[in-house]
Amino acid sequence: MAIEELDSQITTGGANALLKGASRKARRGLSIALRTNSGRIGFALVAFHLFLAIFGPSLTPYSPTDFTSEDLKIRLTGPSMEHLLGTDGFGRDVLSRVVAGARSIIWISFIGTVLGITLGTIVGMTSGYIGGKTDQAIMRGVDVFLAFPGLLLALLVINLGVQRIGIDLWPSKEAWLVIITIGIAFMPANSRVIRSAALAIKPLEFVQSARLRGESSFYIIFREVLPNIIPVVAVEASIRVSFALLLTAGLGFLGLGVQPPTPDWGLMVSENREFLSIAPWAALAPAMAMASLVVGVNLLTDGVREAAQLPISQEAS
Amino acid sequence: MSQLSQTEGQLLELDRLAVTFYTPRATVRAVRDLSIEIRRGEVLGLVGESGCGKSTAAFAIMGYLPGTTRVDGSILFEGRDIAHMGDSDLRELRGNRIAMVYQDPATSLNPSMRIGTQVQEVLREHLDLDSRQVRERMIELFESVRLADPEAIGQRYPHQLSGGMQQRVVIAMALACDPLLLIMDEPTTGLDVTTEATILDLIVELKDRVNAGILFVSHNLGVIARVADRVAVMYAGEIVEQATVGELFKNPRHPYTAGLLSCVPRPPGDDGIERKLSSIPGSVLDAQIEGGESCLFADRCPLAQDACTAQVPPMTDLDGHLSKCLFPDDVHSGIWGESQERNKELIPEEPIPVLNAHSLRKFYGRERKKYLLFGPPVQQRVRALIDVDMKVGTGRTLGVVGESGSGKSTAAKTIVGLVPKDGGKLELRGQNLADGVQHRSKEQRAAMRMVFQNPTASLNPKLPIRHSIIRALRKFAGLSRDESRERAEQLLEAVGLDPSYLDRPPSELSGGQQQRVALAGAFAASPDLIVADEAVSSLDVSVQAQVLNLLEEHQRESGNSYVFITHDLGVVRYVSDDILVLYAGHVAEYGPSEAVLGSPSHPYTEALLSAAPIPDPEATQNQIRLEGSVPTLHSAFKGCFFAGRCPRKIGDICDTSTPPEQAGSHGEGHIINCHIPVEELAIIQQQPFQNGVSVT
Repeated sequence: MAIEELDSQITTGGANALLKGASRKARRGLSIALRTNSGRIGFALVAFHLFLAIFGPSLTPYSPTDFTSEDLKIRLTGPSMEHLLGTDGFGRDVLSRVVAGARSIIWISFIGTVLGITLGTIVGMTSGYIGGKTDQAIMRGVDVFLAFPGLLLALLVINLGVQRIGIDLWPSKEAWLVIITIGIAFMPANSRVIRSAALAIKPLEFVQSARLRGESSFYIIFREVLPNIIPVVAVEASIRVSFALLLTAGLGFLGLGVQPPTPDWGLMVSENREFLSIAPWAALAPAMAMASLVVGVNLLTDGVREAAQLPISQEAS
Repeated sequence: MSQLSQTEGQLLELDRLAVTFYTPRATVRAVRDLSIEIRRGEVLGLVGESGCGKSTAAFAIMGYLPGTTRVDGSILFEGRDIAHMGDSDLRELRGNRIAMVYQDPATSLNPSMRIGTQVQEVLREHLDLDSRQVRERMIELFESVRLADPEAIGQRYPHQLSGGMQQRVVIAMALACDPLLLIMDEPTTGLDVTTEATILDLIVELKDRVNAGILFVSHNLGVIARVADRVAVMYAGEIVEQATVGELFKNPRHPYTAGLLSCVPRPPGDDGIERKLSSIPGSVLDAQIEGGESCLFADRCPLAQDACTAQVPPMTDLDGHLSKCLFPDDVHSGIWGESQERNKELIPEEPIPVLNAHSLRKFYGRERKKYLLFGPPVQQRVRALIDVDMKVGTGRTLGVVGESGSGKSTAAKTIVGLVPKDGGKLELRGQNLADGVQHRSKEQRAAMRMVFQNPTASLNPKLPIRHSIIRALRKFAGLSRDESRERAEQLLEAVGLDPSYLDRPPSELSGGQQQRVALAGAFAASPDLIVADEAVSSLDVSVQAQVLNLLEEHQRESGNSYVFITHDLGVVRYVSDDILVLYAGHVAEYGPSEAVLGSPSHPYTEALLSAAPIPDPEATQNQIRLEGSVPTLHSAFKGCFFAGRCPRKIGDICDTSTPPEQAGSHGEGHIINCHIPVEELAIIQQQPFQNGVSVT
């Protein structure tokens, strides 16, 4: 009953159908994406990594973080039946660490992308729809963000954050700071793309018709314009995910992300790069994991883009 | 040129052509059964509503079909089957022996190449000529399509030409290699009436000169009547009737043709009685449906009997007049409802008009001086509306006509408040209307609604169609959710749609249905005034008639007024009580409908009237043709706004002084802005006129 009441409180009743419609369209989009070869391969790779992210930590044969004095004796051994990918500088099983490391990089990049896309969509739509001097002001502000070097921004946000935030966050302060960095870094470019999409919708008759009904700008932006640029947002988000993955791994490599001993691919490459000549697997394995995930995401993106184009061209005809 | 024997016989023969598209979603039978023949020197008009497969047929002849298409039957061109011909052989034919002219000249020309280069490219590809000969041939071609200054025009880029000139260039390219067959797919649909008339004249003239067969595809019966020798009527992928043009228009033998003809608004007949438009109910049979053993038109046909759904009617030959109907002899003009006289009882005029616009002005853009505040102006504002007056009384319809660029849409947008005006006064029932829609009161917004041209864009594609209607009801009438839903269902029924449509997305509706939904939304708050901006222009004739009747019915019942903007003079004649003729933002003529459309009238009105295609091959019209297009004005005219294109220009006075406002034949309420005295206009407009000189 409570749910039904809640439903009826949602204004004009369209929201429900919209949600249902959106999930139906997402399913249809995915099924079209899977018709292409790149979509299929990408989907398999991404699904594999997602599986690792969810179940990985409970599947690892050895503890990914702890090591004993016994382990230190077998540090930097090559692949064997006991340790399929060998051991790292502390004698920890590389396979266990790679498997366990999928979780942090995937959720951080994913949440970071969602944050960046949400911010960018709100800024871009508002700027594009309102137009005129407001648009100019917002876009020049965006330009300032765009001109700011990404790494500098990351250093600034993370160092400031680590020093100033007193409370402890789950799972770590750094993880959230990386998410905020990704969000801020993605907002400007994304807002420009969304703005141009909103500009294409703005002159259409149904928007003018809403203006003639006396609807508020807020209503028009979120109720009339937003549903029509969802395909653009989806494509934009799927492209950004792979950038987010690389950024997260990069920050991890520089020691700005998740802190040791948490298994993190970027961090692992960084920790083991000094042993590259004697134990290449310890650094190569996380790098390969990273590469396969990014390639998988990119392939899936291609499929999604195709799927997003299809309904648009159908509506145009 | 080909052998003599072939010039005598058929140039193109389509025999039981069927085109089927296989898509992942569905099998689309675009063309089901098409058999036509074209001789050299003959124009065959192919006519039908949208979705009947006309364009697919044209593309099939060119061999431009995607790989997943199945073509059955045969396309014989000079006796050779080109339906199943290899790519290289086809390439030899295309452009060389068979040429095509597309609907939109702006997209058929490469915007980044000079037009001369584009024409020369065609010549080099197909003909063995040296560069001097190529140039000569190009100039010859430009001359043959009556382009002014053929020597120099090749240096221009497509955007430097008007739409009509662009289409001439496209036709010149099609003629480049003396094709035997010319396919024209709606070549005048995107053009203004005035430009359309000049292009149609050109096509009629070419027909005699080039001795090619022309397949002319159009949805417009008036256009077909003007150019075609024979007409084939297409419905749901089939030819349903075929006859010579005079015979077909005078004596249609298929109910569909009779229906199409009775949908077109036309001038009152000899008896002077205005008749109500008939309309064909329903819509074209979905191409995804398999026809089976039935007449495909049966579900919309007033003559349909049991026999019609039991067999496919054979093509009956009645002295060369082919009809695919079981009862061709029962077809007459009355089958689509007895022609009723329209009852146009006027609601008594109220002292305060619903809408009163006085000296309306609108400029676009911004003025800029060379040194910010000083110096000569480097950029001036575009003058879109200059001192336009109009009044709309209760229950009356004001028609606004003019070519594109004449300021019609700007006038509509200024009235409803989508763009702010730059001068003048707007009053709704005597109350001043603020500039932007956001500054107007809720009552004023509710009292004035707008219907847009493109029905597909006027409904949000991502929201169910109930959205716009219910939203308007809740905003303006303050109804609750349940009440508004109920009212929305009533409104949909009132516009002839099933209430179950409320929950469907707009993409599941046809264009005509979408426009009805838009109308239901406009009717929602019982407005005093509805501004309809080209509201029926994108609709097929049968649907257009339905919508026009709907508008008229609503007016009779609720007494609302319309401002009806259109470029179609037939429609404006049918709906309007008063007519405002705009040219370049100026009022050319304004007055009661009969006075404006009758004689004497402003030379611009006269030119528009003589250009409008009439669906009657025997109609006699003056051949007054306007070249070029409406100028974009940056500064005030010294003389008359129309002087640059006026076929009746009398001399220097037109260039040097503003024309006086004269009272027309109807006295006070009829204004003609022209230097020629009204009495003289009346005399010269009685005489036949042939436009000898073309002005660019």
